[in-house]
Amino acid sequence: MKTIIVGFGFIGRDLVRVINEKRDIITKYDRNFKLVGVSNSKGYIYNEEGLDLEKLLKIKNLSEYGKNYKDNGSSLELIQKSNADLMVEATPTRIQDGEPGLSYIKKALNIGIHVVTSNKGPLVVAFQELSALAKKNNCEFLFEATVAGAVPIFSLVRECLQGDKVKRISGILNGTTNYILSKMYFEETSFELALKEAQERKISEKDPSYDVDGIDAACKLVILANALMDRNAKFEDVERLGIRGITQNAVSLAKKSKFAIKLVGTIDKKLEVAPKLVPINHPLCVHGTLNAVHVETDLANEITIIGYGAGKETVSAVFNDVLTVLKKAKTTA
Amino acid sequence: MKYDVTLALADRPGQLVKALEPIAKNGGNIISIIHEREKHVEGFVPVSLVVDFPSKANLRKTIEDLKAIDVVIIKSEEVIETTRVTLILIGKMDLKRLIEAKFENTRISGLEVSAPSSKEACIKLDLEVPTDSVEWVLDQLKRVSKEEDVILISSI
Repeated sequence: MKTIIVGFGFIGRDLVRVINEKRDIITKYDRNFKLVGVSNSKGYIYNEEGLDLEKLLKIKNLSEYGKNYKDNGSSLELIQKSNADLMVEATPTRIQDGEPGLSYIKKALNIGIHVVTSNKGPLVVAFQELSALAKKNNCEFLFEATVAGAVPIFSLVRECLQGDKVKRISGILNGTTNYILSKMYFEETSFELALKEAQERKISEKDPSYDVDGIDAACKLVILANALMDRNAKFEDVERLGIRGITQNAVSLAKKSKFAIKLVGTIDKKLEVAPKLVPINHPLCVHGTLNAVHVETDLANEITIIGYGAGKETVSAVFNDVLTVLKKAKTTA
Repeated sequence: MKYDVTLALADRPGQLVKALEPIAKNGGNIISIIHEREKHVEGFVPVSLVVDFPSKANLRKTIEDLKAIDVVIIKSEEVIETTRVTLILIGKMDLKRLIEAKFENTRISGLEVSAPSSKEACIKLDLEVPTDSVEWVLDQLKRVSKEEDVILISSI
């Protein structure tokens, strides 16, 4: 299978490393697997015979790769010319319009290329449209990394709970806010101090609003609702309150009554992201940067899945999606 | 619908069977029955029952039938199942507004205040809310807290 990676940031680069290290697993499903192209916002490299992964891992900028580099070459051009079977899309998220990832995914699906993405934006903006496009063109469209990073929530429901009806989902879907609230819970620091430490440790961005105002968690909630509960949810449908107003007093008062305050996303009759009191013995009560998703279904009743929601572990979700595409292609061949 | 019914039965053999007959005839399903012999007063023994009736009309007919056979009814009231709801409110709030809200059958079972005079004032409330009304009560509290510019944190 000829594969291209669109977006060569943290995830794209890490995926190249894992593909290189775990070639034996890939070979089990596809002996002819080749990474033929990689692009970023400045240009792309393309070689139909396959790229040299060791060389790719050593360079900082794609332009350093040598003769296969096309300066100013667009990702759309790479998708069109590569004749690829699979595209991994890992460009930065823009939830306002889903671009540029949305255009890349549409382009790929329209010409019959399977898609694996780690980018929330396109799914928040156009989940139904992209799913329909993938179905129409017989393409796989997988997005495990978009929600709760390495936590395989979509694979779990798709593979292991395919006969269950998901009735309700709640979850801790943002590692940054969970880190801040955990600091406030265990070390009795103020919100401001906990946020500062999260920023110093690069757990939070300089502009923390995307995390602390619940925007990131709301995006994930929309994707979960659409993908697992067949809703037609939009970002605007989420009632959202972040954690800026949470005081140390409130955290202490909750702790005395055996609760921790957590930013919880809930899909029930409505979609809501808000600080909630979570009993300390509840499976959702996880700390640090951990994420947790609690699914309630008609047959299995309650299942909770816990893991790391961002950072280096996310590559697991992307790599396993790639393997799923290879495995399905092998089965149908 | 579950009802808590207390009867005063004469302390003679056969009185309980006699009293149960109208209950069964009117579709009542007895959930529990306690013969409170220690509360024996002047030849009468209180018997407390929890009975599930299909509707309130069935209870009314049962009471009529019991009275017709001279059974004294001490109490008959609906059993309301409640859920304990814990809340934290952050910010200065006029507690009167909460009390004035008077949610039907809702009881404040616990209240703790932290730093009441500061901007970071916090109230923890434990409420016993009729299970069927939890969502409605929370929606109303959300509305009140929004009007008061207070953050409401409810339990999951």
